[in-house]
Amino acid sequence: MSQHQLSDHQPEGGFSTPVGSRRTFFQWVTLAAAGVVGMGLAIPLLGSLISPAFTRRRLAWVDVGAIDELPAGRPTQLDHVTTTRDGWMEAKSRKAVWAVKHPQGEVTVFSPICTHLGCGYRWDNAENKFLCPCHGSSFGINGQVLGGPAPRPLDRLPAKVESGRLLVMYKDFKSGLAESIEL
Amino acid sequence: MASRLYDWLDSRLNLKPVQRTLLDEPIPGGASWIYVFGSVTLFLFVLQAATGMFLAIYYAPTPDHAYDSIRFIETEITFGWLVRGLHHWGASAMVVAIGLHMLQTFLYGAYKSPREAMWMVGVVLFLLVMTFAFTGYLLPWDQTAYWATQIGINMVGTIPLVGDFFSRVLRGGEVLGALTLSRFFAIHVLFLPAILVGGIALHLFVLRRVGPAGPWADDRASLGSETFAPRQVYMDAVVIAAVFLVVAMLAFSIPLPLTDKADPSDTSFVPVPEWYFLFYYELLKYVHGPLEPLATWVLPLCVILIMLFWPFIDRNPVRNPIRRPVALGSGLLFLLVVFGLLGISIKQLYAVPRTDPAVARGKAVYAQFGCVGCHRIHGEGGAVAPDLSTIGDTRPDRAWHLKHFRDPQSVAPGSFMPKFPLTDQQLNDLTTYMLSLKRAT
Repeated sequence: MSQHQLSDHQPEGGFSTPVGSRRTFFQWVTLAAAGVVGMGLAIPLLGSLISPAFTRRRLAWVDVGAIDELPAGRPTQLDHVTTTRDGWMEAKSRKAVWAVKHPQGEVTVFSPICTHLGCGYRWDNAENKFLCPCHGSSFGINGQVLGGPAPRPLDRLPAKVESGRLLVMYKDFKSGLAESIEL
Repeated sequence: MASRLYDWLDSRLNLKPVQRTLLDEPIPGGASWIYVFGSVTLFLFVLQAATGMFLAIYYAPTPDHAYDSIRFIETEITFGWLVRGLHHWGASAMVVAIGLHMLQTFLYGAYKSPREAMWMVGVVLFLLVMTFAFTGYLLPWDQTAYWATQIGINMVGTIPLVGDFFSRVLRGGEVLGALTLSRFFAIHVLFLPAILVGGIALHLFVLRRVGPAGPWADDRASLGSETFAPRQVYMDAVVIAAVFLVVAMLAFSIPLPLTDKADPSDTSFVPVPEWYFLFYYELLKYVHGPLEPLATWVLPLCVILIMLFWPFIDRNPVRNPIRRPVALGSGLLFLLVVFGLLGISIKQLYAVPRTDPAVARGKAVYAQFGCVGCHRIHGEGGAVAPDLSTIGDTRPDRAWHLKHFRDPQSVAPGSFMPKFPLTDQQLNDLTTYMLSLKRAT
């Protein structure tokens, strides 16, 4: 290259090398090319990396049974079956929720997990209480704490009635706290 | 800012000599656009490594989950389709870049003394890249991947004495399955990159010890030299950016094929390899019977050995291509054969006769009457009635079909296929569709 372009080429250590504005031009184009490739890669790569961080768990209303079949004034345990997605895997999730139909007809649904340390509790017909077998917490039919170490009333799940069917959205809550905090 | 940081580091680490070694490498005869292919190949390796790492975040290398995880990348992950597209097209681009790099080296006689070692390491790098392509092809675990890999491994099995052992090692047992997928995955993402990085380092080490070959001019003393930076760097960068944009454009515009999930029981599937293996796929069609091992392993082995030891076969010291008619002629012949076979193969793959509109209407009738409940076409549908994937080959008689659809028992006594209330138009369309179901040629 270029013995005739001595003005913008200069020998350096025995080799010629572009100098001045020519050199600056090559450096800028190289930087621009690196920028195009760098940004063109960084955006999709980092985008794909953080993408799942923003997908919320999809909570769905699940049909747990006909409202008419619930006995008024007595808690009933109902199956709550959903398909949960974990990445590309799908699994059936089976929970049991406690539903109470009040005499006026409205329904309260409780999470089946004791607010103390997360055991499963049961309804005791004789004592007319929810009893937790682990540490002896007990709750009234409205979920209020009647005794034992439980720090807060039973957690209520969103529930609604549509064309005679009871729909429930399942949630998990932190145990052991005075307030009800969703996980 | 950057230069102050550099000065600060330089005053402590003495970086200037390192910079001079890396960037002021003399290029005999000056920088040239013809020298960019090595850098482009290196860039594409980096692109493959980067996109591959990000794909590995979501990919699960087990037959249960591989296909679903790829689907997940394609549909659920932001830019997932783009990352996979870049990796897919980047692989093709890498094969092209290596091809051009080798062609330039061949044309310039740059493999000749004292650069024989650089050529040989380069051939090994090329073979490693083809192994990357072969192992990566299985990972989506779709029909194409499964059956193409089946064929590839069976070809290894045709080698006398050791073939059976090799193919068992490749598969991790008797059949292609979970063990095959996990070892192909490990080879693709752990073993090969490690070996390839070592090979690249060796390739560049030899380059820096002997220096670039430069033009083929006889009077080398009269050639000036130019430093690698900034002009060759600029040329490399411009072409690299252009290649990246082309790869990105392909990833954007051509949705990636993902065929059905691999089904080992569906033997009707006809796999087609990636385009860079097509010439070889075509060659295998012409060689049958006792000559088959010739094409499955004798010829490939000979070609690889000739490539590897080419600097010692072609001992003519002249580099000017015009004065190397034998070398150039044999190179040209090799390319003619490869591209000829590739051309024939592509022509046959795309020479599908223009589809008769009646075929589409017949397909709709097939769907409308729920034929898929009992019959299977290319892996889709029930298995209680005959598989219709190639019914056009096995029963090409139009009259038979017309009669059969009107009253199945009249031509197939004992058949439990019901009579369907088809109009004459539907009858004709459905028959045309049946006759169109032929083996892929």
